[in-house]
Amino acid sequence: MTSRILVVDDDTALAEMIGIVLRTEGFETVFCADGSKAVDIWRTERPDLILLDLMLPGMDGIEICNRVRAESGVPIIMLTARTDTADVVKGLESGADDYIVKPFNPKELVARIRTRLRPAAQSVNETLRIGDLTVDVAAHEVRRDDAPIALTPLEFELLVALASKPQQVFSREMLLEQVWGYHYKADTRLVNVHVQRLRAKVELDPDNPKIVTTVRGVGYRAGAVV
Amino acid sequence: MPPARAVAASRPRLTAWRDWRSWPDSLANLWRRSLRFRTILVTLALTALAILVACIWMALAVQNNLFQDRKDQVLADSRRATDAAQATLDAAAVQGDSIQIQNLWRGVQDTLAEQSASDMIAAFRIDRSPSQLAPQNFNTLGLTEEVISVGMREAVQSDPEQQWWQSVALDRADVQVPGIIVGQQLQVPDFGGYELYLAYDLGSASQTLGFVQATLWIVGISLVLLIGAISWFVLRSVTIPIGEAADTSAKLASGELGVRLPVRGEDELATLGRSFNAMADSIESQIKELADLSLVQQRFVSDVSHELRTPLTTIRLAADMINDQRADFDPATARAAELLNAQVQRFETLLTDLLEISRYDAGSVQLELEPTSLAHLAEDVIGSMHQLAEQHGTDIRFVAPGGYSPVEMDPRRVRRVVRNLLGNAIEHGEGRPIVITVDSDQQAVAIGVRDFGLGMKPEDVERVFDRFWRADPSRTRTIGGTGLGLSIALGDARLHGGELAVWSDPGRGSNFVLTLPRQGGRLTTPSPIPADPGEDSIAGVDDLGLTQPIEVLTLDSSTDAATSRGAS
Repeated sequence: MTSRILVVDDDTALAEMIGIVLRTEGFETVFCADGSKAVDIWRTERPDLILLDLMLPGMDGIEICNRVRAESGVPIIMLTARTDTADVVKGLESGADDYIVKPFNPKELVARIRTRLRPAAQSVNETLRIGDLTVDVAAHEVRRDDAPIALTPLEFELLVALASKPQQVFSREMLLEQVWGYHYKADTRLVNVHVQRLRAKVELDPDNPKIVTTVRGVGYRAGAVV
Repeated sequence: MPPARAVAASRPRLTAWRDWRSWPDSLANLWRRSLRFRTILVTLALTALAILVACIWMALAVQNNLFQDRKDQVLADSRRATDAAQATLDAAAVQGDSIQIQNLWRGVQDTLAEQSASDMIAAFRIDRSPSQLAPQNFNTLGLTEEVISVGMREAVQSDPEQQWWQSVALDRADVQVPGIIVGQQLQVPDFGGYELYLAYDLGSASQTLGFVQATLWIVGISLVLLIGAISWFVLRSVTIPIGEAADTSAKLASGELGVRLPVRGEDELATLGRSFNAMADSIESQIKELADLSLVQQRFVSDVSHELRTPLTTIRLAADMINDQRADFDPATARAAELLNAQVQRFETLLTDLLEISRYDAGSVQLELEPTSLAHLAEDVIGSMHQLAEQHGTDIRFVAPGGYSPVEMDPRRVRRVVRNLLGNAIEHGEGRPIVITVDSDQQAVAIGVRDFGLGMKPEDVERVFDRFWRADPSRTRTIGGTGLGLSIALGDARLHGGELAVWSDPGRGSNFVLTLPRQGGRLTTPSPIPADPGEDSIAGVDDLGLTQPIEVLTLDSSTDAATSRGAS
C-alpha cells in the first residue's frame, strides 16, 4: 500500500519538485498552497503524513499544526528556512514530529518521511508497564486504570522505547536515533519538546513527573512500575 | 524607633566623626569635591574678615569718641571747680592769721568737692620752703604723690595757667579702673602756687564701651553665621540641579538614553536643562537611527539568505535527481550535471556562511557548550579530512602534548574552525607536511595549524580575517572555500572568549593558533602555543616521526602520556 503525503507549501516549484522526488520513491502526493485550506484538504484526503512549510499565506504552519493535532496524531514534518528562531521550537511545541531545514537533499527528505511512516517496530504481542500505565504495544494503546490515553504515534513510540528498557537511562542522542532515526548529531530540542508533550498527556502532575523521569545531565528513564 | 537602615547609615559617619585623625583628609576631600563646601568656606572666610575689620574699626571709633567726650567733660568740670576755688581764695582777706588760713583752706576744699564731680582731689604746695602758716597739702581717697607721674607734676609746676591731663589706672576699692587726672595751679595769696589735681573715674565709660564692643562681636558673629546659612541655602538651589545634571549625564553615558533633566522656569539652570535634553534627544535619535540602520542591514542579509533557501531547495532537489541519473546521459551532459550538483552545494555553503556572519553581526549567536577534549576533536577533524589531504599529497602530523581533558566549548563551532584552518593549510601548503599541535596550560587550551607553504606578506596577514578576502586573487582555488571561513572562525573564537592568532612569513609558511580559555571568561595569559613558531623548519617535521613519543613538560594533569601521533 502506497503512503499518501500532503505537501503544504506555497512555493509551487518546490512543491512540484518535492512531488517528483516523492513519486519517484513510490509515494502518492497531494498538494496545498494555501494555509487556510490545508486543514480542509487534510480532512478530505486523510494523508498518512503532512509535509508542512512554516511560513504560509492564509494560515501559518504552527496554527495548522495545532488544528490537525487537535483531531489526529498524523505525522507532521515541518519544512523551515530558519534554524535559529523560536519558530522551530514553536512548531515542535504545537505538535510537529520532526523538522527539515531548507535546503535539504532528496535522500534526507525521504529518510525522514520513511522513519515517520515505518510501522511500529515492536509488532510483537506485548504489554508493557510503566509507572501506573499499561502499554499495549500491538493495539497501540496506553491505559491508566482502563481509561485510554490518546497519544500520537511518535509519543507512543517514545513511551514504548522508554518502557521496553525500564532499567536504562536514555540519553537524548539515543532517543534521537531510536525514535527519530537520526544517526548523526541532531537537535536535542526535538527530544525535550516531545518529552514535555508526552508528560502533559500521561503524567498526573507534569511538574512532578512519575512516568518519564529526568536523570540530570544524562537524559530520561522510565518511571518505576506502581 | 528609626528604621534599621538609618541606624546602619549613621554608624560609619559616627565613627568617622570620632576618628579625628582623618579630619584633614576628609576636609581636603570635601574641598576638592564639593563646590558648595568650598564656596561656603570662602564666603565665610571673606565675610568674617570683612566683619572683623568693620567691628574693630567701630569699636575703636566708639572708644575714642567716648573717651574724648568724657575728657572734655572732665576738663570743663575741673576748670569750673578750680575757678571757683580760685575765686574763693582771691576774695578772702587773711592777714597771716593761721586760723583764718586754715578755715579758708577748708572752704577751698569744700568748694572743690562741691563744684567738681570728682571725689579724688589732691593739692601740693610748689614752694618747698617750710612755712608755719602755709596751708597743708591734702589728698583724698589715695590720690597720693605716687599716682601722679613726675612728668605731669613738672608740667603743672611750670605753667600757672595751663590745664594738664593724663590717663591713669586708679585704685578703687582694690580694683584698677581707668581714669583721668587733671592738674593745674591754684594761686594761694601769700603762699604762692599749689598744684591741684582732680582724678576722675572712667569706669562707667569703660562699662559702656565693653557693652558696645560685646554687642558688636555678637552681631558680627551672628552675621557671619547667618551669611553662611544663607549662602548654604542659595548654593543648594544651584548645586542640586548641577548634581542632578551630572547624575543624568552619567546615566546617559552608561546607555540609558531615555533620561532627561527636569526643566523649571527660565533661568540659566533651565537653559542648561534644555540644552542637555536637546543634546540627549539628538544623541538618542542618532544612536537609534544607527541601530535601526544596522538592524535593517542585518535583517536584510538574513532575509535574503532565507529567501534564497526555498528556490535553492528546489534547485538542490532537481540537481540531485539529475545527478543521480547522469549515467544515462552523454559525457558532456553528465559532467554538466556533476558540476551543477557540486556548485549548488557550494552555493549552499556560501549561503550558510553568510547567514552565520549575519548572526554574528546581529549578536544573536548562542554557544552550545559541552565538555569536549580538544585533542580528540582535532583527531576527528584530521580523520575526516584525511582524504582531501591525500589528494593534495599532504602529510598531516599531529602533536598533542596536552589538551586531552575536556574543556567547556561549543564542539560544533570549534570543529568548524579546525576544519577551516586545516582546509586552508592543505590548500596553501604546497603539498608539504602540515603540523597540528594541541597543548594546554592551567588557563587555556590551544590548537595550532602550521603549514610550510608560500606564506603571506605582512600586509596580507593583517587582512586575512577580512570577509571575502584572498591573498592572491590569481591563484586557482581547489577547495570550495567561501572566503568567509576565517571571519567566521575569528567570530567563533571570540564568542568563546578566546582568540585566533596568525603568524606568516613568505617562503616559510603560516601558523594559525586558536586559543580557548578553560573557565569561560577571558584569556589573560599568553597562549600555550605561541603563534610565532620561531626557527622551525620542514626538516624538523621529519624528526617528529610518526609514532615516536616526545618528551614534553606539561601542566595538564590529564596528560599522562605525552605522545606525538601521525594522523595518517
